[in-house]
Amino acid sequence: MSLWTYIPQLLFSGLTIGAIYALVALGFVTISRASQIINFAQGEFVMLGGVITFFLLKGVKLPYPLAALIAVLMVVLIGFAMHLSILYPLRKASILILIMATLGASIFLSSTSGLLFGTLPKTLPPFSSEGPLQLGKISVSPQSLWVLLSTFILLIFLYLLSHRTLLGKAMEASSTDPLGADLLGISRNLMVFLAFGVSAGVGAIAGILITPIFFTSYSSGALLGLKGFISAVLGGWGKNSGAILGGFALGIVESLSLAFIPSGYKDGVAFVILLLILYFRPKGILGSPFIDSRRW
Amino acid sequence: MVAPLPLPTGERGRVRGSNLEIGILHVIARETMSSRTAKVPQTQFRKRDLFYLVPLWFISLIAPDPYLYHKKGFKKKDIFYLAVICLAPLIWSDSHFHHLMVLAGIYAILALGLSLFMGYAGQISLGHAAFFGIGAYTTAILTTRYAVPTFLAFWASALTAALIAHLMGRPILKLKGYFLALATLGFGEIFLVIVRESTNLTGGVIGIFGIPWFSVLGFSFDTYLKQYYLAWGVVTGLFIFSKNLVRSKVGRALLAVAASEDAASSVGMNVSKTKLEIFVLGAAFAGWAGSLFACIMSTASPEAFSLGFTILVVMMVVLGGMGNLYGPIGGALLLTWLMDLLSKYQEYSLPIYSVILILFLIFFPDGIGARLNVRVIYLIGYWAKKKKRNKGKL
Repeated sequence: MSLWTYIPQLLFSGLTIGAIYALVALGFVTISRASQIINFAQGEFVMLGGVITFFLLKGVKLPYPLAALIAVLMVVLIGFAMHLSILYPLRKASILILIMATLGASIFLSSTSGLLFGTLPKTLPPFSSEGPLQLGKISVSPQSLWVLLSTFILLIFLYLLSHRTLLGKAMEASSTDPLGADLLGISRNLMVFLAFGVSAGVGAIAGILITPIFFTSYSSGALLGLKGFISAVLGGWGKNSGAILGGFALGIVESLSLAFIPSGYKDGVAFVILLLILYFRPKGILGSPFIDSRRW
Repeated sequence: MVAPLPLPTGERGRVRGSNLEIGILHVIARETMSSRTAKVPQTQFRKRDLFYLVPLWFISLIAPDPYLYHKKGFKKKDIFYLAVICLAPLIWSDSHFHHLMVLAGIYAILALGLSLFMGYAGQISLGHAAFFGIGAYTTAILTTRYAVPTFLAFWASALTAALIAHLMGRPILKLKGYFLALATLGFGEIFLVIVRESTNLTGGVIGIFGIPWFSVLGFSFDTYLKQYYLAWGVVTGLFIFSKNLVRSKVGRALLAVAASEDAASSVGMNVSKTKLEIFVLGAAFAGWAGSLFACIMSTASPEAFSLGFTILVVMMVVLGGMGNLYGPIGGALLLTWLMDLLSKYQEYSLPIYSVILILFLIFFPDGIGARLNVRVIYLIGYWAKKKKRNKGKL
């Protein structure tokens, strides 16, 4: 019966990592709501958020909040630069070219980060220095609560951006009906540009939140990005709510799987889930506005 | 709310760009038409025409015609390429060159299979490194554990890869576009996880060592020169097979599937069967390549089959040009040489490599061969016009 005592603890750590997956997935969804592009370099934004904050904190010795803020701004600028230098010239290219170009950007960002900031895994101090809280039988690190709180605030922000502002509506219009958006005078390129900034910012914040709990190294972005993408597909591609649900579901399933299978297979779980969901319900749990239910 | 379906990949590669010979005709036609308006007698021989017609003729001798699938059989050019492949290692007898060309040959086999799947059938696969790995591990396990002759293991590798591709392809190939890419990528990652974790079978992260040289009936391919002829012999055989395949009924079915699956199924083609067949065939190619790779490197470790390797192979297909069979071989040669050149720069090699890839994708999205020919023709046409303009005749 010792297995069942671990379950609440695993559930909580799954919730924490699920929040991070949800943020990464939201980055994908933000871009896909503005265009039909999938940015495979999304995970690198997460990595860069953590690594640049570490550099500013330890190398330049800035105060923590200022370092985090500057890191987010820098990653947003990197997102803008990536759109201008790669995605904008390729705006009429086929899907395969876009996939390869964003994968190339992903290699570039991770290897350059390894070159500039060193290849050793990095960790940040937690936001608040109290010891773990005891809630009944499970111990909860305060950083996990910070992660959940920040995720919640970001979710509200992104919801308001996409559903309550003209900008969000314009972004969605430029993806779902490009011709209509053009007729209404919406600059689609500008919308994709802004979406890249937002998604880079969300990714960077996720990176700063996760680095105190898990180590961030120059190569950890790719896997995180893939899992975020899987979360977005799992919940329902192109939906904010789907991304959140998918993120938490993936995090919890992956964490619970530790109780039943050897820990080395943990990374495979996400991909098995991906293959299952793509086979049985490709539009995801909540359904997707972009995927035709009958044939796609 | 339903967004327009994305165009199948590969379609653009074939529609855009023009055949070199048509390009030459185009330039000549433009020249004669403009000279007609300028009242210049057409029969007049102008020496300056040689300036661009001679280099174009030379290029047409050397460069492969990118859009050959509708043409008959083999050309003299193919014999020329074959002669170059046979003679190159004898002329340039440097063991580093030989080894590099062996690797390029193995990558060319892999890229050839992938090109059938991506360039002709218009699908996307980011999981071909897994089939390469399956081939390599099958050979490694059979030869080191069970002392199976390498020649048998060579065939067993292709069979295993094809079998697994058949099982995997059935559910996966329902998908399209990004989701197909993601699913195949996921398959590759699962393969890596399984290889790393099942230590008893595959040796875990360390891998398997001491795989014997490839040998047929007691003849062992133990020098780089022999391996060169082995690898490029297999490339030539598979190239001839693929070339006949794409001109057969199956090949035309692939083109139809790439152009429009709905249209293809409406004229009675079994679309999913066609896609599955070519996926399995591509996997078998990858299995052969993996088997050769294991024999030549004499090790098999999971690091060789990671996502970075998949990106390299897909780039070979994309840069060579989709929808023709010379492309992947050219792309394999190009990228193998590029990687070798860059390896001098140690830790700077990956950033430089990625920047070069992105620049290639931005400036040559249809493949280097296709776009290069078009560019050359355009530049020469521009140059000819400019000369006329300067003389006040246009």
